[in-house]
Amino acid sequence: MNADATPAVRRTRRRRRSVTQHNAAGWAFTLPMVVLVGLFVAVPVLMALWVSFSDWAGRGSPLAPSVQFVGVRNYDQLLLGGGLATSDLGTSLRNNLWYVIFVVPSQTVISLVLAVMVNRRLMRGKAFFRTAYYFPSVTSSVAITVLWLFLFSATGAINKVLGWVGWHGPNWFQDPSGVMHLLLGKLGVHTPPDALAGHGFLGTSWWQWLAGPSVAMTAFILMAVFTTSGTFMLLFLAALQSISQDIDEAAEVDGASPRQRFRLITVPMLRPTVTTVVTLGLIGCWQVFDQIYTGTQGGPGKTTQTPAYLSYDAAFNNQQWGRGAAVAFVLFAIIVVFTLFQRWLQRERPLPRRLRFYPTGVPR
Amino acid sequence: MTATTAQTTTAVAGATLAARRRPRRAGTVVIYALLTLVALVYIYPFLIQVATSFKSDAEAASDPLSLVPQTWTTAAYTRLFRYSDYPVWFRNSVLVTVLVTAGRVFIDSLAGYALARLRFRGRGLVFAFLVAIMAVPGVVLLIPKFLVINQLGMYNSFAGLVIPLIADAAGVFIMRSFFETIPPAVEEAARIDGAGTFRLWWSVILPMAVPSLVTIGILSFQGSWNELSHFIVASSDPQLTTLTKGVAQLASGALSSGSQYPLKLGAAAIMTIPVAVLFFVFQRRIMATSTGAVKE
Amino acid sequence: MNATHVMTRRLGLLAAGFAGLLALAACGSGFSGGGSTSAGGATGGSTAGGGSTAAGGGSLDVLIGSSGDAETNAVDDAVAAWSQQSGTQATVRNASNLVQELSQGFASGQPPDLFYASADQFEGYAANGSLFAYGDQLSAVSDFYPSLVSQFTFDGKLYCAPKDFSTLALIINTDDWTAAGLTDADVPTTWDQLATVAKKLTSNGRVGLAFSGEYARIGAFFAEAGGRMISEDGKTAVVASPENVQALTFVKDQINAGSFAFASAVGAGWGGEAFGTHKSSMTIEGNWIAGAMTHDYPDIKYRVVPLPAGPGGKGTLQFTNCWGIPTDSDQHDAAVSLVEFLTSTEQQLKFAQAFGVMPSVQSAAAGFKEQFPQFAAFVDSAGFAQNVVTAQGSSAVISDFNAQLESLASGDPQAILTSVQTNLQAALDQNRK
Repeated sequence: MNADATPAVRRTRRRRRSVTQHNAAGWAFTLPMVVLVGLFVAVPVLMALWVSFSDWAGRGSPLAPSVQFVGVRNYDQLLLGGGLATSDLGTSLRNNLWYVIFVVPSQTVISLVLAVMVNRRLMRGKAFFRTAYYFPSVTSSVAITVLWLFLFSATGAINKVLGWVGWHGPNWFQDPSGVMHLLLGKLGVHTPPDALAGHGFLGTSWWQWLAGPSVAMTAFILMAVFTTSGTFMLLFLAALQSISQDIDEAAEVDGASPRQRFRLITVPMLRPTVTTVVTLGLIGCWQVFDQIYTGTQGGPGKTTQTPAYLSYDAAFNNQQWGRGAAVAFVLFAIIVVFTLFQRWLQRERPLPRRLRFYPTGVPR
Repeated sequence: MTATTAQTTTAVAGATLAARRRPRRAGTVVIYALLTLVALVYIYPFLIQVATSFKSDAEAASDPLSLVPQTWTTAAYTRLFRYSDYPVWFRNSVLVTVLVTAGRVFIDSLAGYALARLRFRGRGLVFAFLVAIMAVPGVVLLIPKFLVINQLGMYNSFAGLVIPLIADAAGVFIMRSFFETIPPAVEEAARIDGAGTFRLWWSVILPMAVPSLVTIGILSFQGSWNELSHFIVASSDPQLTTLTKGVAQLASGALSSGSQYPLKLGAAAIMTIPVAVLFFVFQRRIMATSTGAVKE
Repeated sequence: MNATHVMTRRLGLLAAGFAGLLALAACGSGFSGGGSTSAGGATGGSTAGGGSTAAGGGSLDVLIGSSGDAETNAVDDAVAAWSQQSGTQATVRNASNLVQELSQGFASGQPPDLFYASADQFEGYAANGSLFAYGDQLSAVSDFYPSLVSQFTFDGKLYCAPKDFSTLALIINTDDWTAAGLTDADVPTTWDQLATVAKKLTSNGRVGLAFSGEYARIGAFFAEAGGRMISEDGKTAVVASPENVQALTFVKDQINAGSFAFASAVGAGWGGEAFGTHKSSMTIEGNWIAGAMTHDYPDIKYRVVPLPAGPGGKGTLQFTNCWGIPTDSDQHDAAVSLVEFLTSTEQQLKFAQAFGVMPSVQSAAAGFKEQFPQFAAFVDSAGFAQNVVTAQGSSAVISDFNAQLESLASGDPQAILTSVQTNLQAALDQNRK
């Protein structure tokens, strides 16, 4: 690091002394955070792991000698038991999966489009638009949920607006019908074939899995896009601004249309940002809790039940602490798998020669 | 337009560019209109929120879209401040947020500096540990943080509200990446002058880090003001309720009788004011920091 | 260089000391197993580090899950009166989420000293040792209704005193009734009559009969059809019996015909709110509606009649809570004394006055009928009331049942009831292991 030109002896002595000094200081400086993080992140994870493998019933300390190790019983009941625990998990996973399917692409695309539009050269009022789109992101999810409960009530603002175009809006947060089921119903499919209704996964029939997000969940999906598009728009803006304008202009001179420029230059250079946005989106979407706790508590008809809320509910409302902890770890595993899968999907792959962009403008 | 185009202008290129310039003006108008419409969609709900808080319950239900109440009434706010514990919640939120922000700023910069500039045995371990910590999703911690807070005897106490929130691995890395940009020469000079590590950090490095400290401060403020799940599990004493938990109870708990929308919206509006003010004051900095708080 | 060296060392020691203190605090209060709080049958005594809010002989912390301001005020007054009498301080808190706060209290070793324990959560609390059985310390045990005492007996011991009970009856808006041209003779006594009357009362913007879409209301129809949820011996779940299917189908048909509705469908939080905000002309609710109507909706004039009989005869549901005292409290004696006060005949009649619940002691029955002839229907319904399902683990099954009921209008009653039966049977089997 400090390449001294001093004589060897003095160098050694100084380095030895400076290493000792830094040891104490280094540890003194990092210890507070290490202790805090250890106590409130690492230890809880271990404790949750223990509780998920034990039969602690909710009284006294989970580390008391009377609490027994029961192996994988909680996980067994949860994943293979086939009873209410399993179907609850299946339902909550289904709900959250549809949430992810709708929210992540929407928020990525919308924030990208907003960023591109706001980033245009000669744009006046950039600051105003950026502020307007980002503002919802600074509010707390509790405040936004309360606002949403009002806007989407049966006689609320949204239904009034829908009324202008002649559509009788649903009682949003009380409607448990799945959107896909409604669509299929419009196409005339009302009852599921036996194959779908008879079999299932995690205690939930395939027909249930295909139900799509419920109308209530759709309101939450809109809320998620509303509150996160601003944050991701900023990420895209930063990336767009770091794309050198020269490249863009050179391509323009060469005769590339704006659409071509966007597709062949901007988008590929935004790839890492898109990966980041999607990863952050995935990690966040799988942990939906605050809005559910404030808004619907898993209803109507368990269609806004998410694994995070299920974990809380099982532990705090039903005193099934072991099961709650097990659900949390199942969710942990799911998040890890999804994140890894998504990163693998978006890994940098070499493009065929024809499509590569050569800065000098001359394909070789 | 630019020098490049001027240089390479040929008749053809000039004509093409000119042709493209014309539709662009029309296109710009369309873009502006679209952006304005979207901005309206983003802002209107908040305007409705404020307006509704000044309406009566009946008017809120019958006329949800209008921005101007037929009869202005502050009944909702009166009820909020006189007949609920809202002032207590506000006070608690302020206290917790200030303490957590101060704690995080201080401890993050300590640890960030050590990881950036101090060589010590085990540095790699600490680094790896903090990275691993960041990979743990918050949802896993909901139940066990409650258990740990119990074990430590911090349940139903202010310490239990504040101390666990100070743990923040991400902030350490933000500070670390800033400290790495400080030229070593500065430290060398200070050390030669005889400063010990702590004095060096406190008097020389920290003043240079003010922008990053402000960033951490803003993120901490936002994060702890808007935190909910931690407050749910950390206490059940009504005197320790914070704004987020209190408003959530207003919206959904057994205490939320009837659809008193003006009351609930007013509560949510006031709750948003401090973060909104912070946002408008520090706009540039917040939006320059591309991390920002990720809300799902 | 020496001075700074020393200073860094000092700082390092300070930091290490700080961390050590933190660790000490950790070891101090919890990892040893919480001392007396986890000891199974330990009575009272002093609690460990994270102990209860009171410091022995101090004040009582009472946690209730109130149905409204009327109830909260009544309990406040009663507890204050007892405090004056006994000289012990007590504070009453109304829980936003009673079940969650209780479970947090039990897990943290800091539960409230006295709380409402609902019949469906009672077994769970008793089974894991959270409750202190004080039934043997009560002076007037024989005065409680036997059916209520049996709800709160676990393992042969009476754990807590029933605080009151309510039954479901039909609440009718008298103005709407007369406006629709109906008279006393039209008060429904059969399901067909109920359907007719509800249809007559349904007009634009208002539904004939609205009630909360949950087992705690629909179960009355099951009772009227002659069905029950669990067999007499408590071992088998009989939710999907033909009687129950008939009842659920009846409700579904009426909902689809537009004469019945769930409270949530008309934008209300519960049946009482739908009734009070005039979104419906009738509702099915229990005694507590009296307090809500007086306090929140004083302009609505109403009368109470027993629910109509179904194919299986008369039937309704009966609800009760008890005053729970936790094991992890050091105020057992004071709490029991407070319970004695609150379940006395005079005090129960005062509660009846405030929010209409019926006293749990038989000696107060006559007084109740005398003072509240308008609520005679509630008392009379007690004769044919069914208890709600209270087996351990059943609350999750009931929540799931309620969730399925949300889509009753388009659902299949047989399928819904069959799934509930499967789940309930699993819970019952689990308890017997």
